[in-house]
Amino acid sequence: MLRAADVQFSYDTLAQPVLRRVSVTVPAGGFVGLLGPNGSGKTTLLRCLAGTLRPTAGRVTLDDVDLGTLSRPAIARRMAVVPQETRLAFDFSVLEVAVMGRYPHLGAFEIEGPADLALAREALAATGTAHLEQRAFTTLSGGEKQRVIIAAALAQIGGTRAAAGTILLLDEPTAALDLAYQLEIASLLRDLQRRVPISIVVSTHDLNFAAGLCRTLVLLRDGEVLADGATDDVLTPGRIKALYGVEADVQRHADAGHLVVVPLRRAKGGPAA
Amino acid sequence: MIPFHGRTRAGSNGTAVIAAVAAAVAVVLVLAGRPSAGASQPSGHPARIISVIPAVTEMLFAIGAGPQVVAVGSFDEYPPEAARLPRVGALLDPDVERILSLRPDLVIVYESQSDLRTQLARVGIGMFIYKHAGLADITTTISALGDRVGRQKEAAATRAAIEAKLNEIQARVQGRPRPRTALVFGRDAGALRGIYASGGVGFLHDMLDAAGGDNIFADVPRQSVQATTELMLARKPDAIVELRSSAVTEAQKTRELSVWKSLPGIPAVRSNRVTIVSDPRTVVPGPRVGDGTELIARALHPEAFPK
Amino acid sequence: MTIRRRFAMAMAVYGTLAAAAIVLAPLVGSTTIDLGRVFDFSTPFSENVDAQIFFVARLPRTLAGALVGAALASAGVVFQGLLRNPLATPFTLGVSAGAALGAMLAITFDWTLGIAGLSAVPAAAFLGATGAVSIVFALARARHRGLSTDVLLLAGVTLNAFFSALILMVQYFADFADSYRTLRWLMGDLDVSSYQPLLSALPLLVVAFAAFAWLARPLNLLSMGADSAETRGLEVASAQRRAFFSASLATGAAVSVGGPIGFIGIIVPHLVRLMVGSDHRVVLPASALFGAAFLVGCDVLARTLLAPVELPVGVITALIGGPFFLWLLVRKQ
Repeated sequence: MLRAADVQFSYDTLAQPVLRRVSVTVPAGGFVGLLGPNGSGKTTLLRCLAGTLRPTAGRVTLDDVDLGTLSRPAIARRMAVVPQETRLAFDFSVLEVAVMGRYPHLGAFEIEGPADLALAREALAATGTAHLEQRAFTTLSGGEKQRVIIAAALAQIGGTRAAAGTILLLDEPTAALDLAYQLEIASLLRDLQRRVPISIVVSTHDLNFAAGLCRTLVLLRDGEVLADGATDDVLTPGRIKALYGVEADVQRHADAGHLVVVPLRRAKGGPAA
Repeated sequence: MIPFHGRTRAGSNGTAVIAAVAAAVAVVLVLAGRPSAGASQPSGHPARIISVIPAVTEMLFAIGAGPQVVAVGSFDEYPPEAARLPRVGALLDPDVERILSLRPDLVIVYESQSDLRTQLARVGIGMFIYKHAGLADITTTISALGDRVGRQKEAAATRAAIEAKLNEIQARVQGRPRPRTALVFGRDAGALRGIYASGGVGFLHDMLDAAGGDNIFADVPRQSVQATTELMLARKPDAIVELRSSAVTEAQKTRELSVWKSLPGIPAVRSNRVTIVSDPRTVVPGPRVGDGTELIARALHPEAFPK
Repeated sequence: MTIRRRFAMAMAVYGTLAAAAIVLAPLVGSTTIDLGRVFDFSTPFSENVDAQIFFVARLPRTLAGALVGAALASAGVVFQGLLRNPLATPFTLGVSAGAALGAMLAITFDWTLGIAGLSAVPAAAFLGATGAVSIVFALARARHRGLSTDVLLLAGVTLNAFFSALILMVQYFADFADSYRTLRWLMGDLDVSSYQPLLSALPLLVVAFAAFAWLARPLNLLSMGADSAETRGLEVASAQRRAFFSASLATGAAVSVGGPIGFIGIIVPHLVRLMVGSDHRVVLPASALFGAAFLVGCDVLARTLLAPVELPVGVITALIGGPFFLWLLVRKQ
């Protein structure tokens, strides 16, 4: 279980804190969505949860062990991050990219073995990119690239044999994607969690994407938690107005099977208290 | 520079003032384009000479034109009177503004200083164009210089002195075995890297020849050769003469000579015939070239010269 | 093909190339020598000119070319990985400008003090390189997040410009011969004429190459971005520091032995990547070996094309590098 307790973070000791006393719990097997407008601290929170940023106050623990006491490879073996965009400086193949996810499991000069290769290949298959194995990563489409990176992250935490308690964090996974690819990623993640007992944390500003996938939501505004809990409880017009300053209608869509948010108009007076 | 009389009167008559200013500027530009009121070809002998070439500066002073020299180049050190004159740059960085401000009527320039030459020609200042070449050209240049500045008699005398000196040297080394020699004029201090020796062309080669030595690089049609280790070992000079333009202490000399010990395969090193001659007379192709040649000859044939 | 196989094949191919270059280069030169006499140990060495040319003139020079070529090529790979830019060279961050300033000062003011077996000019070049590296590193250290590669790049480019200005200033004090000799130094010169400079540079290069071995996988990770690399278990700040210092060390040592020979640090990595892919675990050692062979080959051309006159080896690498670059640009279209 990944937990942030009273986390505070400032990029600069003199600047305003980006996160103020934020507490978030990611239960085992959970699917948590971090929602909030730009500048609310979503990405910062994600990085604190992933251990790449050290909170200036409070702590982040993985199974009650403070992340600060763990080595980077130790953290990387349990948690993998899928960034919003990946730009590769050199021409690696798709398989090479997936195999890089296995590096935290290798010793100093150890070379990836057949088991690692098999895991990487399985992860590629799980994200529907196995046929792209020998292609150069830089030649793929946006959606294909994102799926390969998800496969690499999956391979990093153990692939299809990932243990319970490993965590996948995704930062705006659909921001740069076409609608078709958005649906693809959504069904991929849902499917993944059905097969492999991992926990998933998604930071997004796509309300419907979050509504369709996440079982719990954390609403962030100005670095503070506005609300958190089950999606159905948290995603209300009142909360949306408070968060985005927008009047919206929230309904359960029969065909989609989850809540759907329809923004209607700007609220008078901006985001309310 | 032609003075510019233009003063703006605050406020009134703006347009008229601008017209006056524009007219004045136009006048200035037109006048600047014309040759200056000294005419391009001096009718008399030059009275204000500038030389950026050390060899020619020495020549000017040797033929008695020293009083007419108003400025010299950055590297001109001889005679002492020349060293005290204002400096206007050298081959790579002539200070055109300074040169023009001194109002010369003759400027000695290198053939390759095309920018400077163009600017001087535009203003109509007389030039004497110098090209760095062989030993024989030194006396030719002295004569030409003498003609140009009206010191033909002194030039002829200087010429004769040089030729006499060279003849004397030739007489002394006549008949003696001529050592195969490398005439080195540049090298990294304390190491055998970046060694540059005289090729088969140029006044250094000619000096070596007159001093009774056979240049091991006589077959290379260039003024300088980068003498790599392989070349030195292959060409096997019997003598090496290193030229330095400034004085070197005895301690430095010993240290620099010992650097050659790392190549005992060279006959000159084995038989201890490596000499350092640290005298500016050996590297300036001017009136003292006879003295420079004698210094090299003394290094190669010490027994032929009085102590 | 697994990486193990690719590595083995690359080592075999490039290792053979490098070995062939080192063995064959001393046989060629502006003078004809008799191999039989070279290895005739009955003649005393001081009288055996052929042996002297082989062992004193050509062999140290060939070995210098191999070491400098290996150092510059692999340093190029590391800098490209660090800056995530295939156009980076070992000289992008100002190392060679610092070295050039040091060399120029030594040449102009006739310094004679050498250190650790290096004579004055190479020693000054190395110190200049060290100075430049320290300044760039100090400038690039962000407040709390390790090394910022953007600031590193800016600092390096600025330092290059600043040192070039200083060099121009020193030119003012230099006489014609000094300027000429500095210019020739800038074009590269592998004629070391003794094994001493190689022995002095060797420990530095061994340290640098060892560090490179450790950096191969981290560089793979860094090519996806510093943040990504961190989430994959890399201590990014430490890896960046190690990459920066080890590559600067290799470059500084190489430049002090042979001057700032250009284009090797960019042609060789490119060619090697075209042939073996981008995995740094193969690209690094392959570039070192190919760089050695390449520079030794260029030096052979330099000393034989216009014999007995020598072309500076940097001119040869530039003549090959320029068109190669144009071809690269055209290809990218």
